[in-house]
Amino acid sequence: MFDGQRWAAVRAAACLLKGSAMKYKSNHVRWLALLGALLLMLAACGSDDSDASDDSSADVTSGDSTDGEGASGDSNGGSDGNVLAGVQDAGVVRCGTRDALPGFSVLEDDGSHVGFDADFCRVIAAAVLGDAEAVEFVDLETEARFTALQSGEIDVLVRNTTWTASRDGVEAATFLQPNFYDGQGMMVATDSGIEDLDGLAGAVVCVAAGTTTEGNVANEFARLGLDAPEIQSFEDTDLIQEAFQQGRCDGWSSDVSQLASLRSDYPDGPDALTILDVVFSKEPLAPAVLDGDSEWAQVVNWAIFATIQAEEFGITKANVDDFLDSDDPSVMIFLGQAGEDGAVVDPGLGLPVDFAYQVVAQVGNYGEIFDAHLAPLGIERGLNQLWSDGGLLYSPPYR
Amino acid sequence: MTSTTWRVWLRRNLFRNLRDGIITLLTAFIAGWILWKVLRFVLITGRWEIVERNLALFMYGRYPREDLWRITLALCVAAFVTTMLFSMWSRADRAGVKRSPRTMLGEIGRRWWPLIVLGIVLLSFVTTVGPWIAACAAISCLFAGALLGRALSSAPVRIRGSAVAVTMLGIVVLLWFLADGLGWDDWGGLMLSLYLAAAGMVLSFPLGVLLAIGRQSSMPIIRSLSIAAIEITRGVPLVVLIILSSEGLGFFFPQDVLPGKVVRVIVVLTIFTAAYVAEIVRGGLQSVPNGQSEAAAALGLSPTRITAFIVLPQALGNVIPALVGQFISLFKDTTLVSIIGLLDVISVSESIRKQSDFKGQGLVAETLVFAGLLFWVGSSTLSRESRRMERRLGVGER
Repeated sequence: MFDGQRWAAVRAAACLLKGSAMKYKSNHVRWLALLGALLLMLAACGSDDSDASDDSSADVTSGDSTDGEGASGDSNGGSDGNVLAGVQDAGVVRCGTRDALPGFSVLEDDGSHVGFDADFCRVIAAAVLGDAEAVEFVDLETEARFTALQSGEIDVLVRNTTWTASRDGVEAATFLQPNFYDGQGMMVATDSGIEDLDGLAGAVVCVAAGTTTEGNVANEFARLGLDAPEIQSFEDTDLIQEAFQQGRCDGWSSDVSQLASLRSDYPDGPDALTILDVVFSKEPLAPAVLDGDSEWAQVVNWAIFATIQAEEFGITKANVDDFLDSDDPSVMIFLGQAGEDGAVVDPGLGLPVDFAYQVVAQVGNYGEIFDAHLAPLGIERGLNQLWSDGGLLYSPPYR
Repeated sequence: MTSTTWRVWLRRNLFRNLRDGIITLLTAFIAGWILWKVLRFVLITGRWEIVERNLALFMYGRYPREDLWRITLALCVAAFVTTMLFSMWSRADRAGVKRSPRTMLGEIGRRWWPLIVLGIVLLSFVTTVGPWIAACAAISCLFAGALLGRALSSAPVRIRGSAVAVTMLGIVVLLWFLADGLGWDDWGGLMLSLYLAAAGMVLSFPLGVLLAIGRQSSMPIIRSLSIAAIEITRGVPLVVLIILSSEGLGFFFPQDVLPGKVVRVIVVLTIFTAAYVAEIVRGGLQSVPNGQSEAAAALGLSPTRITAFIVLPQALGNVIPALVGQFISLFKDTTLVSIIGLLDVISVSESIRKQSDFKGQGLVAETLVFAGLLFWVGSSTLSRESRRMERRLGVGER
């Protein structure tokens, strides 16, 4: 840690302090010298930080066969508007998530992040850096997620975020391939006997604050020509649950995936709640990056497609190595292996050619990620099946 | 002593007449009811498994689990030097006073009982052997430090001075050593709060004193700059500054020239606390009679020396309670960093309630009561020690 640069600065500071104290007897000068010395030491510490981050980038990316410029030990590495180079320099993907979304990302007692969104952060890190654990998780409140993206605090937002036109436009976000297709639904107490939205006309509907949920409820009731319900927003789902148990809410509206998970944990048992058979909004939950860097956007997109394509090929974390000598040329191209003519196809995304192999080998395919984190909550695949099974997941071809 | 005396005492103080009696009974009933509820919660109904399982997160966040020996070592060194300094300092004050081990144990118990209670609570949650080893090591370091301090208390001033200097250096090395495990920015849990509060106190105190002196300076530029710095900082809520530092700065400066979030928060806490410290110290400076500095000037002391050796020591002695109050509120304000996504005790208690084993069970009370206990022990220890220091310096007895 004590490199030459900092020692030089400390020595310079010491000389300055000593020299001035000897030359001048005045107290003012001595104080100034002390101040100067402190500033110099601060500057030295500052430069040490950047060195440290370079060291780590060298550690992580040295195994990569990409352009290698990130790992060259160049001391003033920076993003200069190019996120991919910045990420490769830093050796870590800064991924915006939320620690408190069961199934999507939860902080476990050993300090690890576990969940569907967290795994997609790992997918991106595996594709870009070849190391699924090279993720810095940034915990973001709902209100802070786009600010974090805009101020450059994170490289990618994978935080259960609905892709809408105004977010694409106003928030300067570029949304990518949705990793989860959701829709807003309504949940009521089973013994209330309510069977459709008509039964909730003029009633109290409870939702979580700061999401698109509130507007969707009002719009749907207006569209159906029903009396507008009284919408109550809560900061936290625990509070909604409490209000619901006390009978202060008639309806509970959220994304169907969330409702399913809330229902499975309800203290009075899942049967006490019924999810109505209506879905009144489209909620494609998609990762987002900042506008203006299409190279980085493509990289994240193809990392996500890799999980979908892998499931389509039937490649899983366990059997990926069996596919390395597959007879199917498209599988060989997908995994970045040399084909029959001995040539490796590099799609030119700026990623290592075997990025899809790294994704599947280190994290898994889409189905595996889904089964690990969302299926236990009682969430059905539904729209999130492969296109060949009637779902919406469709990866463009890798060639 | 006898049964009649306490009956008389009861009658005089609690049951003098009918109204007093009713009030006494009512108060006793309410107090007993609350006590019963609290005890029942703590001992019976509270589902403390969530705290037990996530104790590591509460204590040191996402610190790499394979590097925990660093924390143990740091704890030992901290325990060693603190008790060394404490016993060196207090023994020097009353050299020659002999006390039996029994009275000493009693004094330790009276003085540190909140910390001891916390230690017992923490160890009661522990399921592995690691923390016991750490606790034993830390306790032995405590006693070793006390013994060394005792030996040093009769040593010449120069040696004691260098012991203090070595300690200061040791603390810096310690921080470096801890940061080596995870960098400056991934601190979490109680360790993060202590780190932020300690850094804030150490850095804001000199800055605040300088600002206070600057505000009384006769040079207009220094005076107006000091006033501006103090009043602008005091006029803005701390939350605003913290959010601005984490989410706002990125719009003005590129991310790669900015230091990490934790460092930015330390800067904000330092500046904010310094402004309040400056006002407290200014009050202290004004409480020192003019005659003091005039007399010093008559003796031929330079203005710098007058401030450093005559005015400041008296001024600071007068404002210890207010300063400690400010530092306690700094310690508690460190929980505000949970809103910018740092993993402090409060964000830990929010996050862990969503773990698959605990979600939907409404464990708000358990997690927050535990977080409250952590902060109460820290704050109460600070304030009790400051009262001791006041008594020793004889403040308020003049």
